[in-house]
Amino acid sequence: MGVKTVPRHGSSLKDRLYIPAIAGGMKTTFKHFITNLKDTSNLRTTQYPEVQPNDITDRYRGVHRLTKREDDSVKCVACYMCSTACPAECIDIVAEERFDGQDEKMPKKFTIDLLECVYCGYCVDACPCDAIRMDTGIFSLTGKTREEFVVDKEYLLNNERSKDFDDD
Amino acid sequence: MSFESWIVVIVNILLAVILAVGTTPIMVWWERRVAGFIQDRTGPNRCSIYGFRLGGLIQSFADMLKLVFKEDFSPTHVKYKFFYTIAPAIVFFCSFLTFAVIPFADVLVIDGFEYTMQAIPTELGIMWFLAYAGLATYGIILGGYSSDSKFGLLSSVRAAAQVVSYEAAMGLSIISMLVTYGTIHLNDMVVFQGQIIEFFNIGGTSIGLPAWGIIMQPLAALIFIVTAFAEANRAPFDIAEGESEIVAGYHTEYSAMRFGLFQVGEYAAMSASSAIIVTLFFGGYHIPWVDTQTIQSNIDVVFGVIAASLVVITFVLTKWMKKNYLWADENDSRAREGKILSKAFWMMTGAVCLVLVLFIITGLGTNGINIATAAIQIGTFLVKFFLMSLVFIWVRWTLLRFRYDQLQMLGWKVLLPLAILNIFITATVVVVSGS
Repeated sequence: MGVKTVPRHGSSLKDRLYIPAIAGGMKTTFKHFITNLKDTSNLRTTQYPEVQPNDITDRYRGVHRLTKREDDSVKCVACYMCSTACPAECIDIVAEERFDGQDEKMPKKFTIDLLECVYCGYCVDACPCDAIRMDTGIFSLTGKTREEFVVDKEYLLNNERSKDFDDD
Repeated sequence: MSFESWIVVIVNILLAVILAVGTTPIMVWWERRVAGFIQDRTGPNRCSIYGFRLGGLIQSFADMLKLVFKEDFSPTHVKYKFFYTIAPAIVFFCSFLTFAVIPFADVLVIDGFEYTMQAIPTELGIMWFLAYAGLATYGIILGGYSSDSKFGLLSSVRAAAQVVSYEAAMGLSIISMLVTYGTIHLNDMVVFQGQIIEFFNIGGTSIGLPAWGIIMQPLAALIFIVTAFAEANRAPFDIAEGESEIVAGYHTEYSAMRFGLFQVGEYAAMSASSAIIVTLFFGGYHIPWVDTQTIQSNIDVVFGVIAASLVVITFVLTKWMKKNYLWADENDSRAREGKILSKAFWMMTGAVCLVLVLFIITGLGTNGINIATAAIQIGTFLVKFFLMSLVFIWVRWTLLRFRYDQLQMLGWKVLLPLAILNIFITATVVVVSGS
């Protein structure tokens, strides 16, 4: 078993004077200060929420969207499977009768409270029609009031599949 | 008292109040932004009034408002409510009073009357500083002790240990300065620093360095600056606060404006320390190589130089703002701020330059020249004062906190012998050279 001798620092005159070490440290911090003061784009801070993080993988679950049929009508049939599966109980659906010949029912109201949502993806798994998905690529939604986070059917229908997915 | 003397007295007191207390938001702002820049992050930059962020300064005002409007809560377990209440007031008051003896400009002569440009025109000077700067620590000790909590008590013990370690070295380093200057009156000290140490003489013009304390007494300056950091309870000697070990130390049990008073007191102590360092060692209100008489006899040239340098400073500042005042969202009200501020700065500079040019054209009377000189010297003092405060902040974000036994070792085994040695050397030089 080899013995490794770790050198002890701090006993030389230079170390005991403190001054050279303090001057060195002050030089380092001053360099950082001046570079950042000259050009604030050197700072590492991301100006969230104006600048969104770009190092989150696309497969991460983002804000939901409601998918559409080929004729741009809503795919959801208001079967309540997603709201039943939801552990956070954040999905609120009101159904209405459907007369466009596609199906029997469609949602009159489909709201998700994104502050309550835990982004577990159970609704996506539960959906029998592939009507709800979490592939929008919106990973951080910001707002100034609680009401802004309760998103409605129009918002969910307008959300599109993230451009970062190259295949379908 | 005549009208002029009222004005001078009020201006002096206002200056002391503003520099001691009013700079707290600015210091807090600097502390946060400098810390951010040193650590490659931005620091607070969002809080705004109608889109005006002033580089994050608004955040300090928001924090102050928060402290003022918070509930004034005092824990029920505190036994001695009187001591508990009076402790922050002691810290605040003593730190604030320290500022009263700092000379902001040379003696101002208006119509033959002489006015000392200090908030309290006393000649006690350095003694006043020592007395009140030392007393401020008792507020900290009392606050920690009377808040009846472990952290507060530990902090009090630490503060007490800190006082005994630095006060002796600080006093002795000041004694060597007293031997050099031959006075305890701060204004006389600054007047002394207006001289020039002559190295050699070329054709009647003497070439040398200004007789600043740091050039004549580098060792005393070093000891005093180190102990001033300890006195102001700033890092690396903020062992009484020790937020990583004893929560917040002496102000753990304080909230709202009681805590605010501690905070303001801390920054007032820092301001006072940097002011006294500037006064003792960095030539006070003197522009290097230019003493009061030189300014008064060449007032037109000085005005011209000030106007030119103002234009240059504003140019650099607006260029910097154009480059760095960016806001990612173009539609946000904060995106416009840079342009409006640039215009405002240019207008201010233009107005000041216009006034200065007017002064040059019309010429000033004796009183006018004296007042202008005082204003220029106050400006010089402010520049030096803020630079020294910047050093305080810079050091805080560089150095690690000392342990209290390390501070005692430093104080008693290193600084104290050095200070005594320095007194011997100084006294020998003074006796031998006979001045």
